[in-house]
Amino acid sequence: MSSSGPILQASNLIKRYGATVALDEVSFSLYPGEVCGLLGENGAGKSTLVKILSGIVVSDAGEMILNRSLYQPRTIVDAKALGLSTAFQELSLVPTLSVAVNLFLPKPKVNALHLVSMRSIEEEAAAVLNEYGIFDVSPSAIVADLPLGMRQRIEIVRAMLVKPRVLLLDEATAALSDREWLFGLIAKFIAKSASILYVTHRLDEVRRLCERCIILRNGKKVFDASTTGMTEDEVFSQMAGRSVVENYPARESTIDESAPPALAACDLSSTQITGVTFAIRRGEILGVAALEGQGQSNLFKTLVGLAPVKRGHIEVDGKKVALKSPRAARSAGMVLVPEERKSEGLFKDLSTSANVSIPVISRATTFDFIRKGREQKLVEQGAGLVDLHRRFLRPNIDALSGGNQQKAILARSLLSGPKCLLLFDPTRGVDVGTKHNIYRVIRGFAREGGSALFYSTELDELVHLCDRCIVLYRGAIVAELRAEELAPELLLSIAAGHRSQADRAWLADNSANGVSV
Amino acid sequence: MEMNDEARSTSGGMTALKPETVTAVLVLLSAVVMMLAMKLVNPTFGSVEQLAAILTTSIFLVVASYGQGLVILLGGIDLSIGVVMSISGMMIAGLTNGSNEALFWALPITLVTCLAVGLISGLGVALLKIPPFIMTLAMGTTFFGVALGVTAGSSQRTVAPMLQSLMSARLAGIPFPILFILCFLIAGSLLQSRTAAGRKLYAIGSSMVAARIVGLPVATITVAAYAVSGLGAGLAGILLAGYSSSATLDMGDPFLMPTIAAVVIGGACVTGGRGIYFGTFAGAIFLSVLSTIITMLSLSQGWRNIIQGGIIVIALILQTKQWYLFSMVNRQLTRKRPIYTGQPQNSET
Amino acid sequence: MSQPIRDRGRPLPSSAFAGLLCLAMYAVYFFKTPSAFSLTGVTDLLNNTVVLALAASGLTLVILAAELDLSSVGVIAVTNVVVATISTKLPAGAFLSLLAVCLLGCLAGLLNGWLVAFLGLQSLACTLGTMIVCEGMALLILDAPGGEVDAFIMNRLTDTFFAVIPVALLIMGLVVVLWLLFRQTRIGIAIYAIGADPVASRLSGLDVRWTKLIVFTLAGIAYALAGYMLSAQTGTGDPRVSNSFLLYAFAAVAIGGTALGGGRGGVVGSVIGAALLTVMQKLLFALGVAEFYTNIFNGVVMVAAILFGNLSAFVALHQRVRMAAR
Repeated sequence: MSSSGPILQASNLIKRYGATVALDEVSFSLYPGEVCGLLGENGAGKSTLVKILSGIVVSDAGEMILNRSLYQPRTIVDAKALGLSTAFQELSLVPTLSVAVNLFLPKPKVNALHLVSMRSIEEEAAAVLNEYGIFDVSPSAIVADLPLGMRQRIEIVRAMLVKPRVLLLDEATAALSDREWLFGLIAKFIAKSASILYVTHRLDEVRRLCERCIILRNGKKVFDASTTGMTEDEVFSQMAGRSVVENYPARESTIDESAPPALAACDLSSTQITGVTFAIRRGEILGVAALEGQGQSNLFKTLVGLAPVKRGHIEVDGKKVALKSPRAARSAGMVLVPEERKSEGLFKDLSTSANVSIPVISRATTFDFIRKGREQKLVEQGAGLVDLHRRFLRPNIDALSGGNQQKAILARSLLSGPKCLLLFDPTRGVDVGTKHNIYRVIRGFAREGGSALFYSTELDELVHLCDRCIVLYRGAIVAELRAEELAPELLLSIAAGHRSQADRAWLADNSANGVSV
Repeated sequence: MEMNDEARSTSGGMTALKPETVTAVLVLLSAVVMMLAMKLVNPTFGSVEQLAAILTTSIFLVVASYGQGLVILLGGIDLSIGVVMSISGMMIAGLTNGSNEALFWALPITLVTCLAVGLISGLGVALLKIPPFIMTLAMGTTFFGVALGVTAGSSQRTVAPMLQSLMSARLAGIPFPILFILCFLIAGSLLQSRTAAGRKLYAIGSSMVAARIVGLPVATITVAAYAVSGLGAGLAGILLAGYSSSATLDMGDPFLMPTIAAVVIGGACVTGGRGIYFGTFAGAIFLSVLSTIITMLSLSQGWRNIIQGGIIVIALILQTKQWYLFSMVNRQLTRKRPIYTGQPQNSET
Repeated sequence: MSQPIRDRGRPLPSSAFAGLLCLAMYAVYFFKTPSAFSLTGVTDLLNNTVVLALAASGLTLVILAAELDLSSVGVIAVTNVVVATISTKLPAGAFLSLLAVCLLGCLAGLLNGWLVAFLGLQSLACTLGTMIVCEGMALLILDAPGGEVDAFIMNRLTDTFFAVIPVALLIMGLVVVLWLLFRQTRIGIAIYAIGADPVASRLSGLDVRWTKLIVFTLAGIAYALAGYMLSAQTGTGDPRVSNSFLLYAFAAVAIGGTALGGGRGGVVGSVIGAALLTVMQKLLFALGVAEFYTNIFNGVVMVAAILFGNLSAFVALHQRVRMAAR
């Protein structure tokens, strides 16, 4: 760390969205040559801060200083020109264009005729890719054809390409199986006295890369100091305001061994998944661990009838079923709580009450006319299952916070009395209090005899909530671990397709317990 | 977070009024304002007979734009309404040919045919995934050709007298058409907003992806909406034939754009999911008043088009400001300042 | 990762199939009407094509940007009547009316672009509104078909260049060349980007709103030129809009391989599509098919064009998947 002044200084940043205060007088400084971690639960304000720094959104109050001059970017191009570049969590590559064009957007080099010569930018791109250690992709390849891990690498290279003074990496390793590549680049980057703001929720990466961390909670900065020597539980409790142990309901044995499995996949193959076989018994919560883009999305889609089965089959309660559509899946007792709440889960123009009742609205009708009283009872019953207060039922659902919206979607899913809940990252974008609530709901559902397939990007959740966990890598199951064997770093390393010596040894020790890898 | 949700929810539930209802009322008020302005220009304007005439002639638009409203709720559009109205009018005239007894079977046949046209459009949109504006435009063009072929050379037929007298009948002094549109408003609103099918329609229009995941019968409801639109156009065409005593092949054309305008003016969102029939109804009345005024001012067809097109664009612009309008009205009605001033967005932080 | 991930190679563009179909149709047409297989006949055919080709080209730009535009027929009507009213009344009428219509088209496009890109209106409903307004303006200028187009426009533009190449062909060729250059400019690339993924485009630093404004404006100019050529064809002004023409414009774009969802396709395909549709229409006429059948034909063709477009997109995707598996 250099002794000169900070490269970036933010003072009293405030950002409001309607009645929510996303950032509440956040101030921090970033020094040359350092990697500073930015941590926080979902809903803490990380992505708002990233948007403000990157020039996508303007803060309501406060100011920023970059390189000793006032920093007020109006656009991403502004920010880049002034020396701050971002690699986004939601990748910003245009899928139908080639790698070369994407690298140089928005202003690829033009010749005298103001035309972009594909050949010359592809040559330039090849040089750039080599410089950053990527040798296995052609610059003319179309981004949509690349696996997610490669796309993430190109996103990172694009951000670094402009040689910024400050680099913002937002969950940059979510889809990377080879993290050392990134860590090497980071080391080279900070050697030149530039700085990195590293947004992550992976505490092992924080330990590896960051000497200092900023932790946000509920829009406020609650921690800004060195993290060397802190335990993971200590860091977690700064982020969540409670300890890891308190956060999760106690695991109970709710599994029904005698009945046939509630849901079983038998050698299931579809686009992006091959030969997936697993079974979930009644009362069991099966977790799915995977890096981004390893086929988990398609697995869930196939299980609910949104993607066609190419080989293999699905069994519900021991009987083979053909799920042609989500409608059919629902009648078979399988309900999906989808990935993208905003676009796939909510009916944003309807009230919360209507959102909850919609799949079972026929229960409250006479000759197809809706009886308000009966609908209200139905909705209140659902809301009671998830602890959603009555006062949130009348307004439009898009007036609710992410956490309450998710509760509404869960209420809707539970009302139809499903056999198996397919939960795809249900706590994404949800505040801590609601997460706690959701864990209890899931465990309660299992207690009543339901089954759950639970995918989460937060390994902690998988470790503490699930009875068993499968790991998906490149569309196939590469491991199946029991509750006792679950540990976040083990899961992550298997999910990245790695087998280190230590892992192998550890797993060999435990092979007697029937761990399959 | 709890605090913030509370803030949002109480202001969202402050009045029982939805923004859509407020818009509809405002539109009706604008119609009244227009009439008053016209009265200033032309003092003879505004007699009871004249008002009754305006409401009577609004019946065609009121009925035809119901279906358009349903289809737009889905995020689609029906560009075949004009042609279906014409075909319906020609059919009822041709089949009854001045006889009342023929009405008994001519009515169902006509209505079923129009329903079928809508049904085919719906199937094309739902199953073949053809964009609605193309599918309905193509259906309109195709069936116009069919009608042209079938009627070419045949002489003008007259509509059954019973139908003609229906349009000028009175019940307790009130013209039948006015009673009809009031009943239609109530029935239409109930069907759209109070049935499970209607609720599903709103859901599909709001998010088709979510609707699929939740297991709603997307294809069925889509086809049904277009079919109802065809049926509505058919009914409007029959009424029009009764009113005009005869039918021509282009009599429905002037009604297509106004149905779209009525729905848009009424506050419905063209991308779907938002809008009530009361709004469309108000839009239809507004346009009828406007049309009468244009005729009284002897404006040419060119000006008519400009005003019509301009109104659609202005209504669309006002819609983007609908929320601000609503919170302004809300503020006045409840004498409390809402706790927030902008869109009640939920943003991921 | 043993093999580097290469560009999978471009699958055959869907416009190639349309091109083949077009040539086949031309063959059938000339076989049926041998008299048409002469310089005058071909010139005539191309003259009929060029109006649709210009309109479809403009529309292609808008559709590539993932928006819709119904105003083409309105702009064509207005520009047609303007040429019919002023070209004979002003000195250098041909040239001045060309300037006037380009200006009109530009203004119409700017209005559409501003409403859609900056005010955020939905493009279908908005351009429907502006289309009706344009039609109204056309009716105000000329309330019934009439007027007179300057002789120069009528004669030279529908004729051949040095008695060898039809002017219409030169114009379409020019459009194609301009397009091939345009798609290599930054703005050309930007249009494909915002049509394919507006969110990623914005995060990449592209200005979505200005790009859309430019797209609508260029489309407006294209429609205006189409109207100008229509004046050359018909010699009179007609303020009425034709629904069938609107359908044909969309059909030409769809057949040419441009996806209605945006991000894929190009002007070359649309020009081929326009040629295909025009020769089909002429073939029907030559076969003595009654008018009402042509209406039915128009409707069916439109639906078939969309299905064809969907099918070729499906095939292209399938090809990509197969190539990837290699």
